[in-house]
Amino acid sequence: MSKIVILGAGISGHVAASHLRRKLSKEHKVIVVSPNSNYQWIPSNIWVGIGRMKSKEILFPLAPLYRKKNITFLQAKAVSFHPEGDPKESKPYVLSEYVVGEKKGTQEKVTYDYLINATGPKLNFEATDGLIPGLNKTYSVCTYGHADHAWHGLNELIQEMKKGKKAKILIGTGHAKATCQGAAFEYILNVEQELRKHKVRDMAEVTWISNEYQLGDFGMDGMLLSYKGMTMKSSEMVEMIFEDRDIKWILGAGVDKIEDGLAHYENLDGEHKTESYDFAMLIPAFSGHGFKAFDKDNQDITNKLFKGFMIVDADYTSKPYEEWSVQDWPETYQNPSYKNIFAPGIAFAPPHAISKPRKSKNGTDISPAPPRTGMPSGITAKLVADNIIDSIKKGKESLEHKGSLGNMGAACIASAGYGLTQGSGVSITTYPIIPDYHKYPKSQGRQLGKTFGEIGLAGHWLKLALHYAFIYKAKMKPFWWLIPE
Amino acid sequence: MTERISKSQRFKMMNPIIQFFKFIYLSIKIMIVVAGGHGGTREVK
Repeated sequence: MSKIVILGAGISGHVAASHLRRKLSKEHKVIVVSPNSNYQWIPSNIWVGIGRMKSKEILFPLAPLYRKKNITFLQAKAVSFHPEGDPKESKPYVLSEYVVGEKKGTQEKVTYDYLINATGPKLNFEATDGLIPGLNKTYSVCTYGHADHAWHGLNELIQEMKKGKKAKILIGTGHAKATCQGAAFEYILNVEQELRKHKVRDMAEVTWISNEYQLGDFGMDGMLLSYKGMTMKSSEMVEMIFEDRDIKWILGAGVDKIEDGLAHYENLDGEHKTESYDFAMLIPAFSGHGFKAFDKDNQDITNKLFKGFMIVDADYTSKPYEEWSVQDWPETYQNPSYKNIFAPGIAFAPPHAISKPRKSKNGTDISPAPPRTGMPSGITAKLVADNIIDSIKKGKESLEHKGSLGNMGAACIASAGYGLTQGSGVSITTYPIIPDYHKYPKSQGRQLGKTFGEIGLAGHWLKLALHYAFIYKAKMKPFWWLIPE
Repeated sequence: MTERISKSQRFKMMNPIIQFFKFIYLSIKIMIVVAGGHGGTREVK
């Protein structure tokens, strides 16, 4: 009998739990430890943030599903890692603390044979002074709660604009090293369309603010893509969309302080500037959760497990941008010190950024951290689950399943406006996610046929179809496993 | 506002019939890219 503990029930943790349960017999125990009671389909938060979807449409409670599927669910948060056990407990364990119910505040040693750390990122709002969702007129769409809140803020402003108020809307990244530009890109296009729908577009100045050096960088160093039979830079495509929608932009901006209606930032020229706004949605920096780890003698071994996020089979040697390689990126997401610990999705420490690092004239790092979105999170979680399943069935370590982001495609279906006949989407696929400049030297590290962009109503339908398909899959309804990650 | 997307392009982008076929085309193409497999990068063939 093996006991597999999964920390986190987001896209990555839930995918791993689902596949482990489906493929392992009931003698093996699958335990999910998560402080959140609900599963949420994060890509649809954008539509909650413009009031076109209710948060209940993008989430469902985990406990009844896990009960039905024979997955043990502990609504608790991880406190510390003990991969060798301790003087009293011989098995490795994670110290967890219950967050609800009678056991609230109680700590428990959750022992395991295999551990999947799928805790994702910490939304590090504290890294930017004054960036607090709902305060200082700034909002976030990173969780369904934040997105609900953002819609209330936006709706209030729209009502004021209908009465004649002129407004400034600022959307983008809220920290010099933030990532997830794609979500902010979706949100700005959706907000812009909603303003037109409410007939207040001419009352608003909409501005994109980002730590990207160029538009369309998306934390992936931009890309060359096929568009209508031509080869186009992603920067040109985004510029075309922004100009067409009268969206202004500020680039190379490291937002470092927020005051009520004021975003202070430093740009790559080293200038300190301020942008005023009436409504802002700024993506915070992401960070690890600050977990500690201890060996069997209770000595601190945090640096064997964590480097901010969890250490896996990546090459963490510090090297200049010109020497970065796809081979630096992990393939199995296994911790090198403790072979029964894995960290798929966003929980693993990336070896370095993807976009070229840049500093301001004052020496401040201003460039995007690497994005790791839902699709790679699902794929890496499944391959980790498959390796654990093989290892259990074979009785020895098996790492046949591999999935480097340098040998994996991703689709970014960015909503550009909601509506069955009036909606729009920007569909971009990228292969590989990490540019391979040796394999594809003439096309900026990507395979052109598989890296393409499309704009139109079909993109909206596609995102909507993915919304329903992935919630169906997450609910583990009949034949859910036929839907790829 | 700079009109970067012409009226005819916009018509094609928003025409439900054209976009229905585009939807099918994109679904297949994305499946090929995304579900087309993944692997490591370090093995020397």
